Amino acid sequence: MEISNKNREFIIGSDDLILVTGAAGFIGRYLVGELIKKGYSNIRCLARETSDLSGLKSIIHREKGQDKCTIALGNLLRADDCYEITEGVKVIYHLAAGTGTKSFSEAYLNSVVTTKNLIEASLRHGCLKRLVNVSSFAVYTNLNKKTEKILDETCPVEASPESRAEAYCYGKVKQDELVINYGREKGLPYVIVRPGTVYGPGKCFIPGRVGIDSFGPFLHLGGSNPLPLSYVANCAEAIMLCGLVPELEGQIFNIVDDNLPSSRKFLRLYKKYVKNIRSIYIPKFMSLLFCIFWEKFSRWSSGQIPPVYTYREWAAYWKKTYYSNMKLKQLTGWKPRVSTEEGLKTFFEYCRNLKKN
Amino acid sequence: MGKKESIKVAIIGCGKIAEAHAEIIRTINDGKLVATCDTEILMAKQLAERYGAQAFYDDINEMVKKEKPDVVHITTPPQSHFEIAKICFSAGCHVFIEKPFTLNAKEAKELLDLAQSKNLKITVGTDEQFSHIAIWMRKLVSEGWLGEPPYHMDCYYCYDLGDKRFAKVFLMNRSHWLWKLPGQLIQNIIPHAVMKICEFLDPKDVEVYAIGFTSKFLLDLGEFELKDELRAIIKDNTGTTAYLTFSTQIRPPIRQFSLYGSKNGLVLDQDHHALIKIKGSTYKSYLEKTLPLNNLARQYRKNMFDNIKLFMRRQFQMKRGLYNLINLFYQSIERNSLPPISYEQILLSSRIIDSIIHQIYSDTQPKKPPAVQ
Repeated sequence: MEISNKNREFIIGSDDLILVTGAAGFIGRYLVGELIKKGYSNIRCLARETSDLSGLKSIIHREKGQDKCTIALGNLLRADDCYEITEGVKVIYHLAAGTGTKSFSEAYLNSVVTTKNLIEASLRHGCLKRLVNVSSFAVYTNLNKKTEKILDETCPVEASPESRAEAYCYGKVKQDELVINYGREKGLPYVIVRPGTVYGPGKCFIPGRVGIDSFGPFLHLGGSNPLPLSYVANCAEAIMLCGLVPELEGQIFNIVDDNLPSSRKFLRLYKKYVKNIRSIYIPKFMSLLFCIFWEKFSRWSSGQIPPVYTYREWAAYWKKTYYSNMKLKQLTGWKPRVSTEEGLKTFFEYCRNLKKN
Repeated sequence: MGKKESIKVAIIGCGKIAEAHAEIIRTINDGKLVATCDTEILMAKQLAERYGAQAFYDDINEMVKKEKPDVVHITTPPQSHFEIAKICFSAGCHVFIEKPFTLNAKEAKELLDLAQSKNLKITVGTDEQFSHIAIWMRKLVSEGWLGEPPYHMDCYYCYDLGDKRFAKVFLMNRSHWLWKLPGQLIQNIIPHAVMKICEFLDPKDVEVYAIGFTSKFLLDLGEFELKDELRAIIKDNTGTTAYLTFSTQIRPPIRQFSLYGSKNGLVLDQDHHALIKIKGSTYKSYLEKTLPLNNLARQYRKNMFDNIKLFMRRQFQMKRGLYNLINLFYQSIERNSLPPISYEQILLSSRIIDSIIHQIYSDTQPKKPPAVQ
């Protein structure tokens, strides 16, 4: 049974203080927009000193939320900053994370240590009602799952993320572990959300699940696999609800939209509406063999070749898998506001304009 | 220490560069990572877990007392190297310090003296001196290829700040330790280059003339404080000279070291991992415009095949220089022989860097010479 959010009681009032970390990021700024739309009037947006704030400011301006938002610049690695920005905060949406690094230590520092500082500071103030920890689909392992099965919240997480050769995955797995431990040991009220591939205006890319371009022409590896897409506005709304709906403590939610396109369809539409790139389709058995061969060669070469393509990686990204958003819909009443068709149209239009300019 | 016994190693500072050290320690037969330490205990824990160290700490004194490591690798920001190394020496540990060695030559001298007085060993992570080609170059020089001693050296050491967007992020991140170094970016990058030059200088009475400035690229971004361009001339008392060029703007961002002697020359191209012998003799007339080119082409081809051979022998890792350096350092501990980088060289390098920083950052820079009319 699905729940409607109309006239629903949330865990905080419209004047209560909400903190969004990573607010200048791709999802963060949309989340701030959704919170303003929902009527929240006390939103603290945390961004790094080095962040580009133009996207965030533009969304705040668009939603007429200038008097409802304050932008705080700080670094979650500094305990003082954490203490200051968590003062009086009732709900934290924690989106800040270590992305774009190949170093496991750096990913850990910017995902786990920052989260620990944030939680410690919040617990000291003692007024936190919920922490929404934004994780990722990257944490799931598909290693022992049969092909064409459904990936949902009950599926296992990577047990040894260091073997994935993906620093981001390592950081996120450890971050989730940390949050769960704080929940268990110190009673931290938390919800973990794991968005799929978030897309929309603001970021133009072809998801890695579709294929790779590391070797010149685009190698299409996804084939008929459904893509776990989440349109950024839908994703932001789902994250927002996970911080507001009562009785969700300790829950984990996957966020994907309905009517997911296949990898092949995504690539075809990209070529049609954005840019006609050259691509070569690699059948499943070949991509699997390639990953196994690469992994063995990397091991043989004593690290001369980085283990970026491995069986684990293949299973996580290119094994055919279906996705479910049932739990999210049932427990939060969320429905994707923007259809996948509409979302893709807007996304490709944005990409086309970006390429033109 | 018995030869079959592994060297007990600890790492202090568990960030990005510590990973490279831990990876190498794992592959070196003589070394065993026993403990990690970081002011942030979670960082120490993650490195220990990933590389099989049995213990992790957030207190250096406790770590050296309980674990009694033979060697400590210090991979913290440079501001803390001096104090941490002193603690390690007090606990009787040999010390491997990441570059920059210390903040200045005074600290460097104190550490080197302390190491000698306690009969312990110390070295610095200027690993580029221990790549395959650098070792080969050293061998050729010692065999007299140049004609003794090197007469002139020319070192290009460039660093790519990336496009304007990346550069802006770098410039705005003022809380990074790099900004708190006396010589900022230059002090962090040039130790590799200066150490290469120092290897062939007489340490007595070395003169340094340096100019530093902010590139137009950074000026356009509104940065006026950071010096990202350096040109230096170095001369020792035997008449050996060196040019040092550090630049963020030269494209490609080359890293090249040339040595010229009274007989022949050598060019070490670090980017392509190639070492080229330059012959001092010349051919007559138009032959000089043809035959030597064939010789150069042959040498480049040979370097290519040598690199393929190294790859096939699994000796061509990106951090092979660091592997060789750490390996040699451990061997010097086991055999109680001289460490791979001489203390004279470490100290001279620190003095030269001090002089460069003083000249380019001092408020009392010498008056500019008159402009050429």
